[in-house]
Amino acid sequence: MHGALRLVGWRLLTGLGVLWGAATLAFLVLHLTPGDQAQAIVGGENAAPTPEVIAQVTREYRLDEPWYVQYLLHLGRVVRGDLGTSYRLHTPVTQAIGEQAGATLELAAAAAVVALALSVVVALASAKRRRWVRGLASGSELVIASIPSFWLGILLLTVFSFGLRLFPATGSHGFQSLVLPALALALPIAGVLGHVLREALEEVLEEPFVISARTRGQGDMAVRLRHALRHALVPLITMTGYWVGALLGGAVITETLFTRQGIGRLLLGAVNAKDLPVVLGVVLLSAGIYVLVNLLVDLLYLVIDPRLRDAPAPAARTAVEGSA
Amino acid sequence: MRTTSRPLLAAVLSLALVALTACGGTGDTAGATASSGPPVKGGTLVVGENGDEPACLDPHQLSATNTTVVTRPIFDSLLWQDASGKLHPWLASSWAVSEDGLTYTFELREGVKFHDGAPWNADGLKANLEHMRDPATKSPLAASYIAPYEDSEVVDENTLKVRLSSPYSAFLNVLAQSYLAMVSPKQIKEAPASVCEKPIGSGPFVFGAWAKGQSITYRRNPGYAWGPPGAAHTGPAYLDGLEIRFLGEDSTRYNALLSGEVNVIDNTPPSNVEEVKANPDLGFSTVDRPGHPFSIWRNTSRAPFADPKVRTAFTFAVDRAAIVNSVSFGQWKPATGFVTPSTPDYADGLSEKIAYDPAEANRLLDEAGWTAKDADGIRTKDGKRLTAVALDTGAVPQNTQILVQAQAAAAKAGIEIKIENVTAQVSADRTAAGDFDISVGIWTTNTADVLWIQYSSHNITTTERRGQNTTRLQDADLDEFLDQARAATDETARAELYTKAQARLIELAPAIPLYNRPSLVSFQKKVRGLGWDHAYGAVGFYDTWIG
Repeated sequence: MHGALRLVGWRLLTGLGVLWGAATLAFLVLHLTPGDQAQAIVGGENAAPTPEVIAQVTREYRLDEPWYVQYLLHLGRVVRGDLGTSYRLHTPVTQAIGEQAGATLELAAAAAVVALALSVVVALASAKRRRWVRGLASGSELVIASIPSFWLGILLLTVFSFGLRLFPATGSHGFQSLVLPALALALPIAGVLGHVLREALEEVLEEPFVISARTRGQGDMAVRLRHALRHALVPLITMTGYWVGALLGGAVITETLFTRQGIGRLLLGAVNAKDLPVVLGVVLLSAGIYVLVNLLVDLLYLVIDPRLRDAPAPAARTAVEGSA
Repeated sequence: MRTTSRPLLAAVLSLALVALTACGGTGDTAGATASSGPPVKGGTLVVGENGDEPACLDPHQLSATNTTVVTRPIFDSLLWQDASGKLHPWLASSWAVSEDGLTYTFELREGVKFHDGAPWNADGLKANLEHMRDPATKSPLAASYIAPYEDSEVVDENTLKVRLSSPYSAFLNVLAQSYLAMVSPKQIKEAPASVCEKPIGSGPFVFGAWAKGQSITYRRNPGYAWGPPGAAHTGPAYLDGLEIRFLGEDSTRYNALLSGEVNVIDNTPPSNVEEVKANPDLGFSTVDRPGHPFSIWRNTSRAPFADPKVRTAFTFAVDRAAIVNSVSFGQWKPATGFVTPSTPDYADGLSEKIAYDPAEANRLLDEAGWTAKDADGIRTKDGKRLTAVALDTGAVPQNTQILVQAQAAAAKAGIEIKIENVTAQVSADRTAAGDFDISVGIWTTNTADVLWIQYSSHNITTTERRGQNTTRLQDADLDEFLDQARAATDETARAELYTKAQARLIELAPAIPLYNRPSLVSFQKKVRGLGWDHAYGAVGFYDTWIG
């Protein structure tokens, strides 16, 4: 148990470093991309801000300070737990994110469930099966993982919404409007995960303990579910970072395509308008999610593999990764 | 090891999918009931708008193109502009302009109430003008539209005397635009920060809720009794409610109309307009927006377009009608001058002077001294190629297509155009700094004063201020016409001056006017009484009902 505590402490500490790094990078990227900041906030194609308005924006947001002063101001604010007020929306960043977070969470959770369920079911059904079954499964996984999610979304819309009129094409009102966006987001991820899981399953199914389970008279499905799956899940858990990232990144496109509310679209608008407080807020949120997810993954390893429970903290992960 | 295959699983999976889909089905397919009886009260109209969602709903803080569609239901304006460009009383019952054009006295309509119960009076108008100008409002557009506003004096409850620092004859026109609509003075005074999120006006609809990134809902204002004079009825709106959804994808928006998810769409994709017209269940309506047509701007402050002959030659080299028809599937009208016909003081009969004439283009370029041609067929003068740099953000596919087609046309006349892909920010900054030869743009406003905005030498970007004179045109004659037009208090005199300005611009050729941007609105036939706000060319819902 001591090892686990040290692991958590260590991960939280490095997590802070990750958050700081993410905030710094976001600031620098936004600051170094060309374009006048005040003009980005109140200017634009149809705008004609007066010099007084530009001066007000510059003064109010302290855009006339050197970059390092602005950087420290933002950092100081964030450290005090204040995410600030959006330049563009004129509302507190926490409110702006709060309004959009629910929709993204709903979409990401639905997509995660669909992706995991699909990949597990397909991998269980197709690992070590006849050649054509495997070929069909891995072929469709390859196709689905390679399709740009934008195109996949349009395909789903064309068939199920515009064509068959089974689902609405827009909005985030309830279950029906969640189906297509969740599928568009989940399918490419399911393709990759399914592929990885089948490979792992096939490896495990060759192991001596599987053969011994079979000789004890267990049925095929029971062997697969009770013995093989648990081992095969390790690489899937290692890939958690990948699919959480894919969910967050894919959400931007999916939300735009299906006209859903969400963090992705909020970020897109904020980056275009150089709305630093919102960009920092969303970046910190995503980085925080990554840190938490990775921490959970590390703890999950301990649950799955009892050998790691007393190992020294930093070595724990490498040991698991090595064995996986 | 290999056991029996499981095609069953595939069947189960597809069954699950069918089960999922079976609980779908939105119903309500566009059943056009062609009854033409009296208007029916009730119902909620769902409108599909494009993805240009405002960041805030305070009209004074907006410059987004959808401002009018989205905020007009909530807010009324001082004046109403009809289809012919004439201004009518609305929240102002009458007005008088002093001889020197510096003082405007507004008599205000009585009995008007805002949604929060605040009365409409001279104090309220003053509060609105001050709110637009206040730098703290950070107005991107309204503040510059009333830039000459000096101060105002409350004469009595319903009379306000407004003083300007310089004559500005477009003042009344811009006051008819939704960007300068009247916000509850109580809200401006007590909670100015809340206007963005919970806008309070005096309009036919009360703001309901705003699901950002998705939709805005409105409900009827039952006490509304001051509709605009152009409306087909008086009293409250017919609709119980209104919902505007932001559907960024063109195909999604169009298909949402076909499937009945929405009743009306704005910004119909031009490629679908013919389909809409051929569909017996759908109706179609359009108006051209006022202001400056969409144009190819040319930097007149540096070579090669510092020479008017080269500019005019480029204009003649381009088949504008062919380009506009090809990118808009025949749905946009080629521009006929430097303001669109739907703009007050538009001068007719100048369009032949911007005709397609490649022979004339070549003659002018020869005359300008670009006589030699190099191996690529590009004209040269003193060893220099006739090259121009065009900025393209790639954000609007049609703009890129226009530039590419103009590039091909120019090449035939021996002009080389290099298209540089840059971000919107870089494009804006380089355009302001004059570091470009060609860019594209449009300016929608309901006054020929747009020519002052775009071409007055006073509006060239300097170190102190960013101006909108993109082409950096400096012409004493034009400046004089535009300044005099601003000072004119007589409508006929103003129209004459703007006619002169438009003719002068044809000679100066700072831009190639390409097309008048229309609002393309498609709707289910059961939707009746869609109206227009002609001050912007935007669809309105005050008279609308569902049959």
